[in-house]
Amino acid sequence: MMYLSILLTAILTANFVLSKFLGICPFLGVSKKLNTAVGMSAAVIFVMALSTAVCYPINNILIKNDLEYLQTIVCILVIAALVQLVEIILKKFMPPLYNALGIYLPLITTNCAVLGVVLLNFTEGYTYLQSLVNSVGAGLGFMLAMVLFSGVRSRLESCDIPKFLQGLPIVLIAASIVSLSFMGFTGLVEGLLGV
Amino acid sequence: MKKFKEYAAPTVVLLIICVVAALLLAVTNDVTAPKIAQVNAENEANARREVFVVAADFGEETITADGIKLVPALDANGETIGYVVITVEKGYGGDISVMTGVDLEGKVTGVKPLEMNETPGLGANATKDSFLQQFVGKVAGIGVTKDAPEENEIKALTGATITSKAITDAVNAAIEAMGGENVG
Amino acid sequence: MAEKKSLRKEFTKGLIRENPVMRLVLGTCPTLAVTTSIVNALGMGISAMIVLICSNIVISALRKIIPSKVRIPAYIVIIASFVTIVQMIVKAFVPALDQSLGVFLPLIVVNCIILGRAEAFAGKNGVIASAVDGLGMGIGFTIALCCMGAVREIIGAGTILSGAESLLSIAGITGFDGITLIGENSAISPMTIFILAPGGFFTFGILMACANRIAESKGKPKAELGCAACPMAKNCALLAKGEACEEKKEGTEV
Repeated sequence: MMYLSILLTAILTANFVLSKFLGICPFLGVSKKLNTAVGMSAAVIFVMALSTAVCYPINNILIKNDLEYLQTIVCILVIAALVQLVEIILKKFMPPLYNALGIYLPLITTNCAVLGVVLLNFTEGYTYLQSLVNSVGAGLGFMLAMVLFSGVRSRLESCDIPKFLQGLPIVLIAASIVSLSFMGFTGLVEGLLGV
Repeated sequence: MKKFKEYAAPTVVLLIICVVAALLLAVTNDVTAPKIAQVNAENEANARREVFVVAADFGEETITADGIKLVPALDANGETIGYVVITVEKGYGGDISVMTGVDLEGKVTGVKPLEMNETPGLGANATKDSFLQQFVGKVAGIGVTKDAPEENEIKALTGATITSKAITDAVNAAIEAMGGENVG
Repeated sequence: MAEKKSLRKEFTKGLIRENPVMRLVLGTCPTLAVTTSIVNALGMGISAMIVLICSNIVISALRKIIPSKVRIPAYIVIIASFVTIVQMIVKAFVPALDQSLGVFLPLIVVNCIILGRAEAFAGKNGVIASAVDGLGMGIGFTIALCCMGAVREIIGAGTILSGAESLLSIAGITGFDGITLIGENSAISPMTIFILAPGGFFTFGILMACANRIAESKGKPKAELGCAACPMAKNCALLAKGEACEEKKEGTEV
């Protein structure tokens, strides 16, 4: 039950993109086509889960040695190295998967959603398993937002938009409305699971 | 030999940068850590005076088995007249730690959220006096309502039921913890 | 003389012409997330500016020593150390700001403005020019954030500079904690939605439209989320395949 509520909260009520403003760059940049949106989100889910899996024990070691202040620097380095490593491994051993996800990997290193989820897991005080669930949930939430938004954007293409709203402004305003609709989920998790 | 240089040079440079960075951080940490601790202690002391205005002084803090922090509030003669309790509950944006002042009759003397990360404009309104003053004088088992509050009930913040509930739960837990302390 | 002039150009370009937020569309996450009040926006802007100036100086000073192969990790380490230092200082001296910025303070590490300027400017230019570039870009970032913060705070909370005491107290000024425009008991209540997530996107969209309007009257192209400013552009296979940043291409076609 606990894990289900963490998962649903991360996907719906505390959506990373639409309510926490993390990972806005890829959300605006790669959401134009459905297939790129799905590919990017799949890579994000993967990297988020992997980074959490590796950073969590490392952070525990840091805390044990009173080195908490190295948290940010260590986490970002671990994530960057991990992404590189995964890219190399995929390229060498799983070319089909590399072709599907690999091209998005370099972009993810400096994505604030990945470092964000790792750091938030620490401040929330989650256990190892809860952190993993939260990371996967955050990734799934990212995917949901991306997929929904790519649909909205394809509709925008054929619209007659006032001149100065064309391009980025109308995309942001559309994002505002999608985000408004996600606010409707507030209280949903509480209502469903009674937590 | 060329290959060695190709691999060694980047590694060495990166290593040196990392070592220098770590040293720099260690030095800054040494300088700021006592200051941060002092700021936190000051904040807590100020909050204590806010939630228990009539107390002249505060005693040594104790931590219960459930991880709840209890600080006895003392009058001018050094007699215990109540407790300041710090409890933690899960809010909308992570944990909320709440400081509650409770007198010996189990009545709330004051409430103050210490650390929270609630939505600005909604949950963050829980720091406002108009919300917190509702708790003063209430006894164990406080309820939350969205309509006109009845006996021993408080009115929830608009659009922030989860936050209101979390803070109320924290206050109830505080009263309970103090009750346990008295019996034991 | 000529050098002085170009330095001034490096400084002023970040303010308006190449404003990192409104023109280059960099650092959108903090722009949306921390602009719920002017004081938060100012705190974020100043913190990012300090990191930007320091990292620009160090990176440009080391630009000949750092091999290009490990360029990005080296930059990240340098930036992350300055971010942590700023974080510790904020925690020690402005604890209220640390509370309200939350996770976005350490996330300055992955703010594309900082890595972007390291790649685009500091890695290629001298120390003084890079410092000036960092100062200009930092001020431009702060201005943009404050604009967002002002709109959202006035409409969404009905206050101006609320919470200013936490910043002013460092300078020894106390007693001023913002102005309340719409009190708790007044006939109208503020539109809270503006300081919530949807309001952030909306305000940014409208401000961006205004920036485009001004840019057009000066004959400049409108702002797009282009890959040119992305620090990872060089490694980006999407760019090579032509799948990302279609907007830019389409923009030129029209």
